[in-house]
Amino acid sequence: MGIRKAVITAAGERQRHLPLQTMVDGQGRNRKVLGLLSDEAASAGIDEIGIVVRPGTAELYRDAMDDVSAEITFIEQLEPRGYGHAVLSAVDYVKDDPFLLMVSDHVYVSDDPNAETCASQLVRIAEEEDCVVSTVQPTHEGRLRNFGTVGGTLFDASRDLYEVNAVLEKPTPTEAEQNLMTPGLRHGYYLTFFGMHVLQPAVMALLDERANALGPNEQLDLSASLHEFSRRGRYLAQVMKGRRYDLDFRHGLLIGQLAVSLSGQYRDEVLSTITDLLARNSQRNAGNESDI
Amino acid sequence: MSLKLRDIITATDRETRDTSLEAICEVLSFDELIAECKSLDLFRRESENLYERVRALFFLYAIYRFYLPAKLEETSKDGAAVSFEAYAHLLERRFSEALDHFLDDQASAGYSDAISSALAKTYYELALQNLADQVQSSVRAVRGNQWMFRTGALEDYPLEVRSELLQCENSAYPLIYESTAVRMDLSHSAWSDIFFLGMDFPSGARVLNISVDLAVHGRDAHPRPPVEARFRVIDEPIIRLTSVDLGVSAEITELGDVFNFAKDYLGLLKAALIASGIVPMGLEGSGQRLSVLLETLVGLGRGFELVSCVNDIPKGSRLAVSTNLLGGLIAVCMRATGQTRSLEGPLGEGERRITAARAILGEWLGGSGGGWQDSGGVWPGIKVIEGCPSREGDPEYRISRGRLLPQHTLLGTDVISSEMRDRLRDSLVLVHGGMAQNVGPILEMVTEKYLLRSAKSWEARQESMQLFDAILAALQSGNIKLLGKLTTKNFFGPLQTIIPWATTFFTERLIDLVKVEFGKDFWGFWMLGGMSGGGMGFIFEPGRKVEALERMKVIMVELKGQLQHSLPFAMDPLVYDFSINEAGSSSELLTGEAALMSPGYYAMTLPLLLREDPRTLSQERRAEMERFEIRADADTSYDEVRDKLLTYLFPRSLNGNSSESSLDQLLDANGFDPPLHERIQEDMRRGLIGLSKNRLAASSQVKDVRPGDVTITTTAEDDAIGREALSNGEVAVVTLAAGAASRWTEGAGVVKALHPFCKFEGRHRTFLEVHLAKTRFAGSTHGMLPLHVITTSYLTDEPIRGFLDGVDHYVMSDSVFLSRGRSIGLRLVPMQRDLRFEWEEMPQQRLDERAQKMRASLREALLAWASGAGEGSDYRDNVPLQCLHPVGHWYEVPNLLLNGTLADLLSQRPQLRTLMLHNIDTVGANVDAAMLGYHRRTNAALTFELIRRRLEDRGGGLARVNGSLRLVEGLSMPREEDEFKLTYYNSNTCWIDIDQMLACFGLTRADLGDAPKVARSIREFSSRLPTYITLKEVKKRWGHGQEDIFPVAQFERLWGDMTALSDVPCSYVAVPRLRGQQLKEQAQLDGWLRDGSRDFTASLCEW
Repeated sequence: MGIRKAVITAAGERQRHLPLQTMVDGQGRNRKVLGLLSDEAASAGIDEIGIVVRPGTAELYRDAMDDVSAEITFIEQLEPRGYGHAVLSAVDYVKDDPFLLMVSDHVYVSDDPNAETCASQLVRIAEEEDCVVSTVQPTHEGRLRNFGTVGGTLFDASRDLYEVNAVLEKPTPTEAEQNLMTPGLRHGYYLTFFGMHVLQPAVMALLDERANALGPNEQLDLSASLHEFSRRGRYLAQVMKGRRYDLDFRHGLLIGQLAVSLSGQYRDEVLSTITDLLARNSQRNAGNESDI
Repeated sequence: MSLKLRDIITATDRETRDTSLEAICEVLSFDELIAECKSLDLFRRESENLYERVRALFFLYAIYRFYLPAKLEETSKDGAAVSFEAYAHLLERRFSEALDHFLDDQASAGYSDAISSALAKTYYELALQNLADQVQSSVRAVRGNQWMFRTGALEDYPLEVRSELLQCENSAYPLIYESTAVRMDLSHSAWSDIFFLGMDFPSGARVLNISVDLAVHGRDAHPRPPVEARFRVIDEPIIRLTSVDLGVSAEITELGDVFNFAKDYLGLLKAALIASGIVPMGLEGSGQRLSVLLETLVGLGRGFELVSCVNDIPKGSRLAVSTNLLGGLIAVCMRATGQTRSLEGPLGEGERRITAARAILGEWLGGSGGGWQDSGGVWPGIKVIEGCPSREGDPEYRISRGRLLPQHTLLGTDVISSEMRDRLRDSLVLVHGGMAQNVGPILEMVTEKYLLRSAKSWEARQESMQLFDAILAALQSGNIKLLGKLTTKNFFGPLQTIIPWATTFFTERLIDLVKVEFGKDFWGFWMLGGMSGGGMGFIFEPGRKVEALERMKVIMVELKGQLQHSLPFAMDPLVYDFSINEAGSSSELLTGEAALMSPGYYAMTLPLLLREDPRTLSQERRAEMERFEIRADADTSYDEVRDKLLTYLFPRSLNGNSSESSLDQLLDANGFDPPLHERIQEDMRRGLIGLSKNRLAASSQVKDVRPGDVTITTTAEDDAIGREALSNGEVAVVTLAAGAASRWTEGAGVVKALHPFCKFEGRHRTFLEVHLAKTRFAGSTHGMLPLHVITTSYLTDEPIRGFLDGVDHYVMSDSVFLSRGRSIGLRLVPMQRDLRFEWEEMPQQRLDERAQKMRASLREALLAWASGAGEGSDYRDNVPLQCLHPVGHWYEVPNLLLNGTLADLLSQRPQLRTLMLHNIDTVGANVDAAMLGYHRRTNAALTFELIRRRLEDRGGGLARVNGSLRLVEGLSMPREEDEFKLTYYNSNTCWIDIDQMLACFGLTRADLGDAPKVARSIREFSSRLPTYITLKEVKKRWGHGQEDIFPVAQFERLWGDMTALSDVPCSYVAVPRLRGQQLKEQAQLDGWLRDGSRDFTASLCEW
């Protein structure tokens, strides 16, 4: 299957500004976060991107997408009813096509020896295997409360692929140990979502089923539908050769920026600047100590 | 030898595997048994399979405990002694080292009875340790529990309280209220829920478990879930734990205090915090800060409160109240931290399973234990719980046949209809008989008997398994009459065959009384839990249930009144109303005005708040009080707060005026000697006397006896002399029955002489009855009934008189005399140095890891108690009878002179020349003609009967001290290891020549009428004997069946010290163990029954 579409969700309450933050990309250009993500998607052969936004906010984002080659469509999420609901908002946009799903508050840095981007690694696997694939990374049980987490069995060790048989959103270690233990990982480590998936229409159908059964104040998350899908269809998780940086964490933007810069062509310049900063800082600390 | 024991263990076919040990061992010779032991010992070292190791260890235990000593009678009695070094290994739980040592000694010096007892004990302990280790390792390996052991740093701490609980509205945080049922086990499948049975014999482990709500009949309006737990966030960075039923609350600010279980009465709540993962096990001893944990869990500046309540259901109900409370507490903590999917309503099946696994973990942490069905109250309704085979992927796979956690199958109304459930309710009367006993030894016995597969108990287990199916079918068909018949059959059949001690005299008497009163309308008896006497069920024709509810209480209370001195009752009997709980553990989120704790919580906390300036109360507290006020006006269940408020504001003390005055009256009435008491108190405080001062001088040389010091065999001449004396009425028996049976009932303070401890000829007999039956038999044999004196004390006199009147002195009224003690002591709060000496200087049995930690923590608390209560001060903070103490058995003989008993004996039988003095628990001792003849022939004033020491015979023995032969008490041994040099142990059966004894006191028969002279002589004589300070454990009861045990100090003088006086001629004779052994603890009874001791005693009796 050829994957040409991507959906980037940017409708979260805290996501209004982060995707519009300016960062410096690996080539030293000033870009919006959303622009970086679009580049990431484009590197995987995506040429149509749908961005899910809050109603009436599309204009805010439009300028940020000036320098993006892909065709951009803004999709409004009519009410804030959870991440799964945001994804489902794109159902008419994706139609019967598989699509790359990304979040708008992360940036990605590839560790692939061939410099293949994270999105490209994912899309390639999804096309090869012709199934739903989520990117994952091993995470210590102490940090599971931040992530959707999958459990499964090893499918292909050479490609770091797992067959998923359970998904839980932000599990406690108790639940994780009971339902999500995955062979081959260190004790206390689990596979957590990386913020990037290739989904198929069947997942959208499950989301739709759940949305219809939703109570008045309930939220629709994606993990429950993915869990359901893992029992019905073929679902793989790929341990990504790369790193993701959640810009919404404390110092998230700073760390994300450093990671992007240190993996780009101005690495040496940035590194020497940081070293200089560290040296000055330690001198000042030493001076303070001698004053005391 | 056709079949090796190890082949039985490794057999793949069931029939061979189920071969009983006794069937093989009884026909093996001594040498063959020794060869089997060698083979089994090698096997248990090599085998990696838990079941094989444990069964081999139990086989070894049984051979060394029962079969080899029996064969030894035909062989030499000399051989290896028990070395102190090996014993020290045993105490420190270095079982393998101890075994190697004992086995080496046996190989070099030969087999002996002593070494056999040491090996038996060590194999037994190692077997239990293996089992405990496996349960612990399985609990840790349960998925969902493992991470708690890995979380060693707070950086990795993974839990957060659910956001719903942090929504503070109008200064009120929401509160989760978890209510949990307790469970009753309708089938009682022969204790098959013991972990090891379930793990080794999963197909034989099945129970029919019913979740019930309870009410105390006549007190509560209607049944409700007996167990409640509440959790809420608070605006203080602390953990506040409150147990409403125990009336205790504590604020925890240090992480280490969560692991300190015995510091207060909140151990169960702390265990729940740990087992639920809120304070992960891996943090124990990490020295990290609680505030950091709380910051992650609930946010900066916040903490939480966990509250437990068991709605006044007393301890010992056999309904697994504490396990289900633990389950409820764990469930509420898991809900609060998002470890369950549902915040409200019943738990899911997976959540119940992890709750049950964690309850097992919590019980292990707290050093207690139960069966795997105990957390059944977490599940709803009626269910079958059964063991299941371990499969690949289970942590138990290839280690044990079954899994640690059983499988629960709910039986819905499609299987047992509502009508059938109603029929059960309409016939069953649940009661608490008032006894709260330790079932731990019984559970160990069950495991042992299962592994040994003795024919009778194995057949009984099969029968009980068949009864399970019949009981289930009877319930399904609603045939409650048949159900009653089956549960009764189970109790009187298989259960008592496996464990004779599951019944008590109280239970059987109660059943008889109910039968008499209700006739054919009494359909059956049903034993709940580990043993009878506490929680029990009586099944009636439905038309008479209402009447039975009222009458049961009256019958039980009357019976308790008759038996309260004989058996350890912890509380007054009561009757429950019950209903089947169809929700299991279920929760509700209480918000806004409804976010209130239970009424009992406010009865406890309001007095504390009232004492504070309202302006200093936090806004949260003030708001809560406003909500409470509104609710209290509207909700009648809060009326109890007003009733209890005054009690909490001005607590009544146990040592109130009434009990103080009755204590003083008792002291006055029983010959309390205030100057002596004050001198002892002063000497103890100054350190002149005390545990360390009990010892002989360190320079004393203690050596074993020389050949000839002890007579091994009596002669035909001795027998002839004795027979003549007996037929001439020259001997009387003196039974020492003044003691409080501290060890026998773990400090409950009942009269041991009146304890119906064992069945003879189909009914329970008391120690007293057994001793009198032996005297009656001697009378029949020799044509003259010996006179029989029972010495009594303030504690035992009235009950024994009443009891003997009740049984018409067993038609021996002319020959039975009671000698009431004339000396009494007032117990003292111990000195910290004595407690430390006892705990730190004296060799102690090291316990299992968790139990050891519990003990250390409890001891810290007891040291603080001694300091707070005033070291060396009078111990008055208990019921009066628990504050007094008898002053040692030395006084019992002078008492015969002081109170005129001896004069009465001599007046009735002037020919009387000899007394046979013996302990109440030496049930094998009788007026044996040969012993009496030997005593006469040696012309000694005193002849002591000795037995060859076994490992368990601690407390001194016959020694040469600086060259002189004498009995040395264990507490006066200069060095602990000295005792291990001694071959003989004092049975404390002593033949006394009356005239020589009087001469020692400086008296003659003619002086016995001169009371002042007798008193003066005895006082002068007593100053020659040492005064020992000892620690005794006494129970203090409170609440609903709760008990605390305190070590208190008392002084004693002991009869054996007469042998240290050079002017008292003494001789010593070795007697068989069956005659000389003492029954000190109830846990000994099973071995005593099985090794032929009971039958030996029975052969001496005429009923």
